[in-house]
Amino acid sequence: MTLTHTETQAVDLAVLATYDEAQMEGEPDFVVELIDIYLNEVPRLFDTLRKSIANKDRSTARRSAHSLRGSSANLGVLQMAAIAGELEHLEDNYSVAAPELLLSLENEFERVKEILNAEHKRRSS
Amino acid sequence: MRILIAEDDPISCRILTANLTKWGHEVVVTRNGRDAWKALHAQGAPSLAILDRVMPDVDGIEICRQLREEKTDSPIHVILLTSLNRREDLLEGLEAGADDYLTKPLDTHELRARLQSAGRILELQESLRQRVRELEEAIAERKIAEEALRNLSLTDQLTGLYNYRGFINLAEHHAKTARRSKNPSLLIYADMDGLKEINDTLGHRAGSTAIAAVGQILRNTFRDCDIIGRLGGDEFAVLVTNLQDLETAKLVERLRRNLFEYNEMSGHKFKIELSIGAVEIDHEQVWSIEDQMARADEVMYREKRKKKGHENAPEEQRTPGTS
Repeated sequence: MTLTHTETQAVDLAVLATYDEAQMEGEPDFVVELIDIYLNEVPRLFDTLRKSIANKDRSTARRSAHSLRGSSANLGVLQMAAIAGELEHLEDNYSVAAPELLLSLENEFERVKEILNAEHKRRSS
Repeated sequence: MRILIAEDDPISCRILTANLTKWGHEVVVTRNGRDAWKALHAQGAPSLAILDRVMPDVDGIEICRQLREEKTDSPIHVILLTSLNRREDLLEGLEAGADDYLTKPLDTHELRARLQSAGRILELQESLRQRVRELEEAIAERKIAEEALRNLSLTDQLTGLYNYRGFINLAEHHAKTARRSKNPSLLIYADMDGLKEINDTLGHRAGSTAIAAVGQILRNTFRDCDIIGRLGGDEFAVLVTNLQDLETAKLVERLRRNLFEYNEMSGHKFKIELSIGAVEIDHEQVWSIEDQMARADEVMYREKRKKKGHENAPEEQRTPGTS
């Protein structure tokens, strides 16, 4: 990593690993469970975001962006958390910038899904 | 501990639940403010609540505020969940009455440390409540005991003589034993003259001094084995036990002499006068202390009337014990 490298890591797997501490003996893998909830939750939030941005319902959009930021940060999905945060606090040029941010969130999610699915697979095997 | 979680974000909620369960806590999960409020007011409600700052219906700060408006001796310990870098939320939360806060994303070590401190506070509160309960119980018991003691009391505070209850009890007891030994006794009824005037002109403090003085005079006049009581107000009674070698007239005379001496020596503005009624009790016969007291009271009353110059006035109908 160089000093000019500004791109935030997509997923910090070390964050996920901290949840191993909450693993109960004899129970299914806890991190796998969290990944499942996340992969389930994100498309739902995207849905709400798409509709509320189209309807100019900013407060719903802000709340969904807030949830997305929180969930992402919890799982170490750092880049998405950062973009969601930007969307949550977006004020200027909203009608143009909001759809753009949503698009970059959706693109980023494709990358994240791959990483999380790989982790899911690794842990399930 | 029993802990309530109010968090609409499923991941944050699951992480909290998993950790708390792992640490041995019992967790109640709610997904919105309304359910959280209900759960905190149910039977056996959790004593600690972790509330998300942002929730779709009622947010954590509002719940906090409403909880603090309730007057309770077991306040719920509230930990508020806020997003990192939202200092204004934090301050608002603490002002609303939150005890502590945690920032998201959650640091589980911090969570654990906060819970430990919360546990200590709750324990302290519980032991305080327990102590207050114990003290309240102790005070209540003490009050009952004091009341019982007052009812059981046999002495008059002002004079140190027996009170009515004490006098009657002891006199009755004496009556039983005297009946067996067939010894004669003497019952003296003494009523202060003019106590009301002393109270009215010199004040109640002087009145009390006068009453106490009568007690002292009676004690000086009679023996330790005699039963001396203040029946109430300005009425006194003495049961002279075992009259054998004593004469009634001499005893009454001794009492009058002591009274006279007191009035000469005391230097008080008042003079103590007693109307005295003395009756001898023949233990050959069956008698009750009440009957004998009525007899003595009658004799005393006749003397009082004589003093007031009503010697020849017709007898009035009156109840014993009043004057």
